Amino acid sequence: MFLTKYQERMLNGEMGEAISKCMELIVKIGELNDADNLIPIKSAQIAGVSYYTVGESIFSFLELFSKDQIKVKVPSWLNPAGMDRVKWREMGVSEDFAEKQNKIINLYMNMGIEQTLTCTPYLIGYKPSFGDHLSWSESSAVSIANGFYGARTNREGAPLALASAVIGLTANYGLHKDEYRVPKIMINVKTDVKHFSDYSALGYWYGLRYKGYIPYFKGLGNSTVDQVKMLAAAMAASGSVAHFHIENQTPESKNIDLSSIDETVIFAKEDKKSIYSIYDQTKDEVDLVVLGCPHMSISDLKKIYSLIKNKSLKKDIDFWIFSSRTELEKNQSRSLIEKLEDKGIKIFTDTCMVVSPAVRERYKNIVTNSAKAAFYLTRKGDNRVNLQSLEKISQEVFK
Amino acid sequence: MKKIEVRPIVEGKVENQAIVSPISISFLGGVDPETGIIIDSENPLFGESISNKILVFPESKGSTVGSYVIYGLQVNGVAPAAFVTNYAEPIIVAGAILADIVLVDQPEEDLFSNIETGDLISIDTDSKQIVIRKKSD
Repeated sequence: MFLTKYQERMLNGEMGEAISKCMELIVKIGELNDADNLIPIKSAQIAGVSYYTVGESIFSFLELFSKDQIKVKVPSWLNPAGMDRVKWREMGVSEDFAEKQNKIINLYMNMGIEQTLTCTPYLIGYKPSFGDHLSWSESSAVSIANGFYGARTNREGAPLALASAVIGLTANYGLHKDEYRVPKIMINVKTDVKHFSDYSALGYWYGLRYKGYIPYFKGLGNSTVDQVKMLAAAMAASGSVAHFHIENQTPESKNIDLSSIDETVIFAKEDKKSIYSIYDQTKDEVDLVVLGCPHMSISDLKKIYSLIKNKSLKKDIDFWIFSSRTELEKNQSRSLIEKLEDKGIKIFTDTCMVVSPAVRERYKNIVTNSAKAAFYLTRKGDNRVNLQSLEKISQEVFK
Repeated sequence: MKKIEVRPIVEGKVENQAIVSPISISFLGGVDPETGIIIDSENPLFGESISNKILVFPESKGSTVGSYVIYGLQVNGVAPAAFVTNYAEPIIVAGAILADIVLVDQPEEDLFSNIETGDLISIDTDSKQIVIRKKSD
């Protein structure tokens, strides 16, 4: 791989151990993927924040950076943590957990990384531009950055995204290159895809069948970012899909050459139903409704309120929503949040049902509108999950 | 004595006993970073330590923060001496680079019919091969 003199000096350890480790990581993974050079990135999005998912090992690793007071070179933000930084007691998180979680966040902040604590940086003002090279690690955000915005990032592991944040460079391979961004499978959508959970079911269905292949969706119509984030998250969870095209909508779908398509498949009513029936596990018992995977936008919250404003939550059912602190602080959303809270809904930020122990340890029978959440909540076998639309949820758990 | 050609990823020279995991390893949740003991109850090596051994396994899987567990093993002085795997995916590559632990992959012959736990393995990445001496020899 071609390295500039300066890059070689970083690699050789002239700028300290942490810089050299980061360079070694970027260069070696680049070489294994036949990258020929390093390219500058505009931003990094860093996973590996929740104490629940990273454990004790993270401390020894972050010490490598804190001892040399290393700062990131490009705007960098954190993925969700394992708890709401303010309302963690309300989530049932222990003192010990909270202390360790705060320590992790502070170590990252000392490196100059912003504590956005969200999987949806693009909703809070960090929208990537067409053609930007990035180093993002949250799988749903990676897919949105590539597909919806036409930016370029591989699905980075947590250590590599952090290394790229520190160096400001990534290796030029995979989704950074034109030839790896072309669609392989055309999905002809022949059934209604209108609810958020339908987008999620479509993504989940696609990912199960075509792991790792880039889809081109036809017949989906013009979709909002809130709809597409459900699709992207589900495809990434079930099939590690990191990029997609939607006919007449996503930036790269215009003037696209479709000769790379190997296979065209119909997404029919039965296909959609097959995903809802995988996640139909609670036998009508519901302990918790949980939404916000990916994090909800203000417009998602408005939609929920419009469905339930004349109803009240049935007793013995909890209702949690996850969003990001920055999203909730904008748009004078205070009164909307209060109205939802008056309905018995708890709104948490900085975390989610996937990376916090709170949901899976407290509740057994769970309803959600996200197939990604359903996938992760059922991994350990202790939780039963139903996938349902917001419309159905509003009818079944409110009266 | 048996020799198998491999692709070196993290270079070095080591010699030690093999510990063979017949199934893929998720480092996060599968290995205790404090002790180097396998804590995945589905693994036949459950309860055994990989510390200072040469860990032979098909592939790594699971969360990418598994790389931090590998780094943690090194910091705590309980890391394996080397990794020998069929295919090194990003978790093991990042972990081995950060922790500076010898890593080789893409063996020319089947690892699992040629290596048993307790066999003595020598790796010199310059020669692009591993040398196996059976424990029974």
